[in-house]
Formats: sequence, C-alpha cells, structure tokens
Amino acid sequence: MYQNKSSIFLILILGLIIHKYYCKEQTYVHNQAKPARFHVAEFNFDHVSDVYAITLWILLGSLAKVGFHLSHRLTEKFPESCLLIILGLIVGALLYITHLAEQKAYVLNSDTFFLFLLPPIILEAGYFMPNRPFFDNLGTILLLAIVNTLFNTLCIGLTLWGFSFTSLYGGTVFDMLPCFVFAALISAVDPVAVLATFTEIHVNDMLYIVVFGESLLNDAVSVVLYRMFDSFAKIGQENLIPTDIILGCLSFFVVALGGVLIGIIFGVVACFTTKFTEHTPVLEPLIILVYAYLAYLTSEMVSVSGILAITFCGMVMKQYVSFNISKKSDATTEYVLKMLSSIMETIIFMFMGLSTVSDHHSWNTGFVLMTLLCCLVYRVIGIAIFANLANCWRLLELTRIDMLIMSYGGLRGAIAFALALILDETKIPRKKEFVTATIAVVFFTVFVQGITIGPLVKCLNVRRKQIEEPTMSAKLTNRMMDHVMTCLEEISGSGGSNSLRDKCRNLDRNYFKRWLLRETPQEKMDIKLLQTFKKINMQSAMKVHDTSKGLVPAPSSSAIHTSASGTNLRPESTFANFSQILAANLPEQTVPDLMFFENHHGAEQYRDDAQMHHFLDTNLYRARPRATIHLRSQDESAGTDGVAHNRFEKSYHHRNHIYIPSRLDKEQIHGRKAGKTSGGTGRSTASKAGSSNITHSHTHSHSPKHHTSSVSKQQNEKLRSASPVSDQKQQQQQQQSKTRSKSPSLSSDQPIRPSSPTAEMYRPSPPISIRIDNDDDNEILDGTTAAERICPWRRSSIPDAARSTSTSPVNDPSNTTQTASNTNDPNLHPGPLTSANYSGTYHKSPEYLGEYATTTKPEEHLSRPNIRDLFNNQSRIPDEKQENDMETNSDESTTQL
Amino acid sequence: MGSNASIMLQQEDLQNICQQTGFTGKQVQRLYSRFKLLDKRDCGYLTREDLLIIPEVNINPLGERLIDVIMEDYGENNQINFKQFMYLLAKFRQGKIKSSITNYNTRESKLRFLFDMYDRNHDMKIDRTELLDVLKMMVGGNIHEDQIATIADHTIGELDKDGDKSITFEEFCKTLERIDADDKMSMKFLS
Repeated sequence: MYQNKSSIFLILILGLIIHKYYCKEQTYVHNQAKPARFHVAEFNFDHVSDVYAITLWILLGSLAKVGFHLSHRLTEKFPESCLLIILGLIVGALLYITHLAEQKAYVLNSDTFFLFLLPPIILEAGYFMPNRPFFDNLGTILLLAIVNTLFNTLCIGLTLWGFSFTSLYGGTVFDMLPCFVFAALISAVDPVAVLATFTEIHVNDMLYIVVFGESLLNDAVSVVLYRMFDSFAKIGQENLIPTDIILGCLSFFVVALGGVLIGIIFGVVACFTTKFTEHTPVLEPLIILVYAYLAYLTSEMVSVSGILAITFCGMVMKQYVSFNISKKSDATTEYVLKMLSSIMETIIFMFMGLSTVSDHHSWNTGFVLMTLLCCLVYRVIGIAIFANLANCWRLLELTRIDMLIMSYGGLRGAIAFALALILDETKIPRKKEFVTATIAVVFFTVFVQGITIGPLVKCLNVRRKQIEEPTMSAKLTNRMMDHVMTCLEEISGSGGSNSLRDKCRNLDRNYFKRWLLRETPQEKMDIKLLQTFKKINMQSAMKVHDTSKGLVPAPSSSAIHTSASGTNLRPESTFANFSQILAANLPEQTVPDLMFFENHHGAEQYRDDAQMHHFLDTNLYRARPRATIHLRSQDESAGTDGVAHNRFEKSYHHRNHIYIPSRLDKEQIHGRKAGKTSGGTGRSTASKAGSSNITHSHTHSHSPKHHTSSVSKQQNEKLRSASPVSDQKQQQQQQQSKTRSKSPSLSSDQPIRPSSPTAEMYRPSPPISIRIDNDDDNEILDGTTAAERICPWRRSSIPDAARSTSTSPVNDPSNTTQTASNTNDPNLHPGPLTSANYSGTYHKSPEYLGEYATTTKPEEHLSRPNIRDLFNNQSRIPDEKQENDMETNSDESTTQL
Repeated sequence: MGSNASIMLQQEDLQNICQQTGFTGKQVQRLYSRFKLLDKRDCGYLTREDLLIIPEVNINPLGERLIDVIMEDYGENNQINFKQFMYLLAKFRQGKIKSSITNYNTRESKLRFLFDMYDRNHDMKIDRTELLDVLKMMVGGNIHEDQIATIADHTIGELDKDGDKSITFEEFCKTLERIDADDKMSMKFLS
C-alpha cells in the first residue's frame, strides 16, 4: 500500500515537473531576443514539444498502471478504469489549481481519440474475438445492438425532451433535436468500458460476448443516429423534410454494411499480402497493423462505421493470417496489439479524468439526474424486452440473471464523452450541459456499476466462464458433438445453426483457405483438432522443459556449459520462487527452445516431426498432471494459461488422492518388473534414457518420487538398467549437446522419416530440442503401444500430485538436490537447457507476472489459452537465450532474421 | 405432403409418442413428414441408404458412424421405423427446464449417445482401437498413423483415471463435466 502511495506521488510529481517545463519553455522561447551566436548545445523544446508531451503521457500511463498493480488490494477492490480516472482527476485538479497550462492541451481531443486512441483497442478486441460464441450469438447481439440501441435512443431522447416542459431542469430549455443528439451518444454501450470491466469479472463466454458484441456493433447505430440528429439539428427543426429521415434510415445500412465490407476487404487483402511475405518476415506484423489501421481510416474517410470495419478486419485476419506468417510474427502481432490497446485504454481513462476538470461545465442537477435515470431504466427495459424476444429462437435461453447482468453491464464510456466534446456549440447551445451530463453518466457507470458488478456477479451466482480446457478429449468430444448435431439436424430436417456453421466451414475450406493461405490445407482434415493437439503437445513439452529446468542439477549443466556456470549457483530460494513463477506463467519460460527450431523451418523440421511426437508422447503423460497441479496450487494467479483453477477442480483433484496409496503399490511392483526385464516398458525406459534430450524430462519425472525412499530406490534401479544403453551414446550425445546448435541439420544423423504431406500442418510444432535417436525411436515404435509405455510414467505423476498439493511448490529445492544425486550424467541434461538460460528467464519473470497482472484482458488467457500466451513472450526470450548460447551457435541466431 | 403424412399417422400413435418423448403434437407431425420425405420408397422405415443420401450426412466425417449407431442401437435389421426414429430424436430435445425432461433427454442419455459413438462393441469401454477409429474418421486419412496413435494415446491418458488404458463411461462423463454438453447436444425442433 505504501509502495503504491509513493508511486502515485512519484507519478504526480513527474507530471508536475513535465508540466512546469512544458510551460516554462513555451513562455521563454517566445520572449527570447538574443544576438545570433553559435551554440554548443541548444535547448529546443518547441521542436519536440508535442511528441515529447505525448511520450510523457504514455510513460505516465504505463507507470500509473504499473503502480496500481504493485498493490494487490487496490486492484482487487477497484477496477483499473476507476483508478485511472481518479488519477486523471487528481492530475487535472493539480493542473487546474496551479494554472500551469491552458487546459486545452490536456483535454481529451476527440480527433486524437478517434484517430489514435480508439482503433488499437477495437482492433485488439476484433482480433481476439472468440469467433465461435460471437457467431453463435450473432442474432441476439444484432438485435440488441441495433434495435435496443434505437429503442434506447428514442426513449431517452423523448423522455429528456418531454421533461423540459416541466420545471425539472430549472427553466433551461432543451430543444427536441439536441435532446436526440444527446440521447444518441449517451445510449450506446461503450466497448472500451465494457472490455475493461468484463474482463475482470470473468462471466461466462455467452454473457460476455452478448454484452461486448452489442457494444461493438451498436457503434454503427450510434454513429448513424448521432450524425443524423446532428445534421438535423444543423438543418434546423423546421426545415426538415421526410426525405431526410428516410435518407437517415438508409444511411444506417450504408454505414453498417459499408463498414463491415471495408473491414472484410482489407482483412482479405492483408491475408493475401501475407501470402508472399515469406522472405520478409519482419514486416509481417507491420503489414497486419497497417492494413487494419487503413481499414479504419478508410471507413472514417467515407464516413462509415470505422469500428465495425476494424473489428471485422481483425476477425478476418485472425482467421487466416496466423497460418501464413511466421510464429514470431504472430507472437509479435499479438503482443503489440495487446500492448497498444492496453496503453490506449489507460490513456483514455486518464484523459477522461483529466478533461473532467475544466471550466466547460454547466451542472444542471435535474438534467443530470434525469439522464442517469433514463439510461438505467431504459437499459433494463430494453434488455428485458429484447432478451425475451431473442429467447424465442435461442437454444440456450437467457435467464433473468443473465438479463440483469446484461443491463447492469451497459457501461458508458469514453466514446460518448468524445462525441459530446465535438458537439458544435453554435448549433447545440446546451453543449455544456450535455458534456456534464455525459461525464456524470460515464462516471456513474464506470464507478458505481463497474465496482459493484463484480460482487453482484458473485452474489447472484452467475454462471462463470466455462474454462474450456485445451484437453484433447474435450476438443475431440466437442468436435464430435458438432458433427453429430449437424447430421441429426439434417436428418430431422430442422436446419439449425449447426448446419449453417458446417456450410460456412465448407465454404471457408474450399475457397478462402485456398486463396489466402500459403499452403492449402489437406481436404477433410480437421485442422483445428490437430492444432489443439499441437497446442497441448507444445504446452506439455514446455512444462516438461520448465520443470526439468527447475530441477537441473548444477554440476551437470556446468559440465556442459562452462561458460554459463556462474549463474548456476543460485540460492535455493530461487528454486522455490521459480516454481511459483512457473506456476504463474508457465508457458513463457520454455519458449526459447521452440524458437530455436522455429528458425529452421525447412525440410529438417518435417523430418523431425514424427520423432518429436514420439518424444512428446513419452513425456506428455507424466508432465501434464504435475504441471497442472502446480497451477492449481496457485489459485491466486488467475489467467495464467488454459488450465482452470476453480474450486471445482481443486476438490476434484483432492478426491483423486484417495486412490493414491493402493495404486502406488501396485504400480511400483509393476515398475520393478519393468526395470529388471529390459523388455516391454523397461525397454522403452531405457531407450528414453538413452536419447539425450529427452532425458531431462525423464529425470524430472523421477524427482517427484524421491520423497518416498522406496520409490526413489526403484528409480535408481531403473536408471541403472537404462544406463547401458545410454552409455553407448553418451559420448556421442555429449558431443552433440555441446556442439548442437539450434539446427537439427548439424546433428542430422537420423534417416529422413517418411513424413506425410500433412506434416506440414504441424508447422507450429513443439520443440525439437528433444531429439530422439532414430534407433530408439524405432524401438519405441515397434515395441509397446504408447499407452503402455506411458503407464509406468503415469504412476509417477501420482505421488507428485500428492506432494504438490499437500505441500507447496517450495518443495522443489529438496527434489533438486535429490535428483542431482542420481542424475549427474551429463547426458541427462540437454544442451540448450542450461540453468543459465533458465536464470535469465527467471530474472525476467517478475516482469511477466506484472504483465499478467496488468494485462487488460486476463480472461482472454483463459479462453484462448496457451498458444498466445506462449507467443506473447516468445518474442522476447529467444534473444536472451541466444545470447547465452552465443558461442556455440552465434551464426544461427544471427542469420535467422 | 405434410397434410398427407399427418393423416397416415394414427392419432393414438401420435399421442403415445408425444407422451413418451415429450414432443408436442405439432413437432411429431412435422418430424413425421420429414420421415416420410426421407423414406423414398414409402415402406415405413428408413435404411442406411436413405440416411446416407442426405448430402450433409454423406460428407460428414462421422456420418457413417452416426448411422451405424442409429441403425444398430435404435433400429433393427438396418432399418429404423418412425417410432424408433422419434426415440432417437427425443434424446436431443432441450432438457433445461425440469418439466421438459423425459427419460430420453437427460444429460446422461445425451452423453451416453456420445459415448456410444465411440464404443461400438458395447462393452462400456472405449478402448484404444475404438478411439483410433473415430479419430481417423475425424482427422481424415492423410495423417500419419503414428500421429493419430499419439493423439489417441494422449486422449486416453487424459481420461483414463484407473489406468486400464480404456475409458469407461464414468471417466468419459467426468471429463465432460465442464463442457456444456447439455446445450450442445440439444437442438430446437421446429413445431
């Protein structure tokens, strides 16, 4: 708390200093009349003043956000938007009292707002739009966005105008058309505010998308209505002819459909462009951003809905672009989008607070209260009417509670404010009242509703976000349900949404994918399914990687990488911390290895593909439970990755413990057998131990067992049984791991596996860091089934599970030491996974924690979990990694760009 | 056609079906006309071919499997008559509201249907080969065998709690607890 206060003070002081300098220079520069002399150094603030101010504002915004998130208590109670507005208010008040500047420079400028601040937020929203729920609920969203907004505008306008005949407004006269203009701007739900609030309360996807979709799509309506009434007001009430109104209605379709069309066109062009960027991957993110921005600007230029354009542009691009561009570009795009939208949001809220403190207000209690009341009442009424109407065709009906949250979530925000600011005071004489009322409504919704909606959601027990775990079974079953329902709908002759979706998918596959993607996907292949699998694979591999890193014995790593040995000697507490950080943001630490191989997209990649999978499936089963448990034990760190940490899962998990003892015994026996007879499962163990890069995870899988001595003994036995095989390769492996660069080609002693053409679909595949020697690989193939192979390992996950839930992750150091005792075979530690790398990432980690805390959309991480999170950080870590491995593979890392 | 079909459906049959399945009379009538439409040869039952002729079913990767399930579990001798047809569809009525739940459209029966899609030898277990079959259907034939096998193993590994390398119905249900199978396995029957 104190920390936080001091940081706020710091920010304030900073702001003041900035301000002081800014003004001083402005006044001094003008008065100067010095003789012309040569200056060694010139102070030329004018030259940079504008950009300087902007940059400082961005800095202030970032610092404010960082500051808020240093205090957990503060952000728990208050939404970030509130805090930012308060900060803006304070800064504004200070500026106002001190009369440091003419206020204008700091008032939210609606041009700035619409041209710079808004597009990134909307683009981000569109780009990360959960397509499936969006289109599933499209009917409801459209109904609410169009009809409900219209209804709200008309009702609010009429009511406000009607009350102007009473004495409620204290004699101030409000004409009809200005009232409607005001109603148009105030009735639209604001996407920025909704995003900022709803991402923090984690309601279910359906509810979220309905409210958010409405706020996005109602832009067309509110823009049209606003513009229509605005121009009507300019034309003058008496000069209006019916044609104007009809044209106004027509313009709605033009604005809405035009916006969508422009968005889609630019999106398609962007996808098409990325088809040819194979050799210039650095430009890919830029291309995406520029096209999206162009879509926005173009539609603003021809005065159609820019918000719709950029939303749809983002949605279209997301569908295809990520197949085309390199993984790095993908990561960069997503990260940049998040970054931009986050900072823009911060600035918007700050500026809103700031601009509130000004002389351009005219408080009219009656009008403000009436507006507020109208907004609330008509929102509730509108939702009640139209949600019930939507229920007629909805499969999943909106309950009363849903409706309540929907109406309560109707937040107004900066768009309304910006629109109010650009009202023309000569045509609309009551502009000041309107601005004040808008601010009042915005503040009320953001503060009162924004703060209370969280507790309300909890209190009403609203269905929370269903965390769709990225498990294979879930995906598979989901897909199966889709297929089955499609068929059944056809059979029963009721063409439901499933059939429609299927048709869209076919269209997409047959035409769009063919035209827009570099590689046409195979027909009849379920790309999504494969993608999920890859995602899971990658995640699991990373978790394996991660945990193994945490447990890597220092001597072995230093034996390989002497250069990195300095960082190996970390205090044990680091390990403890590490496991926490690991739990908080699992994916990122492991990314470097992926990037290694990402660089070599060539034929090697496909060749290694199958082997990789074999590595993975030997690892997955052990790794997954452990890692998830880590996550579960960290309930606080919401929004880490796709794994849910709700109460339910915890209890579910605990229930599992009952089985542990008996199962453990049984399987121990089994394991011993396997260890002695070097066939069957034992054989696969051996082969796994033999293959160099796998073994780090293998090693790790042992570690959980060491808390029971009998188990550890067994493991030792196993290891020993494995060692003959591994010894043979030890030399070779060691060599390899030393010289092993990121390119598999250097160590390409494997035969080229007949990789099917579809191997290409595995492009974003898991780390190949994990090389498997070909003979071992074959053994695995020919020997037991994967499931059987897994069996012994599955067992290891159970004690592990028991341990990590019963105790805390702090246990890790002890494991580390234990593991170190029996795994000091250098082979067991793969080359690139030195703890130097790891420590490097570790030092970075707090930042990531912060990033996660401040990320504006924590629940996005939950909904579309991992891959993005991985990528978010991917772009950064590799560099570090490469630095560490510089001496061995400097050329690779440099040639790669 | 519609009026013609409704005449052919006996009044008592209709009431019977309505009572058992929870469909409204109108829905039954409508489905009956649909049934008649599919029944090209007008023999009172549908065969595999009748169903396979529907284009969407035909191209659907799981279409054949679904028809297998329908014919074997709901029909007899590769035929399915209207009553059986209704029992089948009754499973997919919405079961949200208490009053609309019959024996057919409980959550469990819906899941059971899904489970049966995998479990073709009716041993109440999904074993590896069964899963592989379905996977192959769903991902297409172009993928390397190994890859499919890996996926299948992974899936089993996820679901299998007791380590017998097959998935029982209970295990199956458990993983689907968090998926809104109830909603997804429901459709709106036009009336």
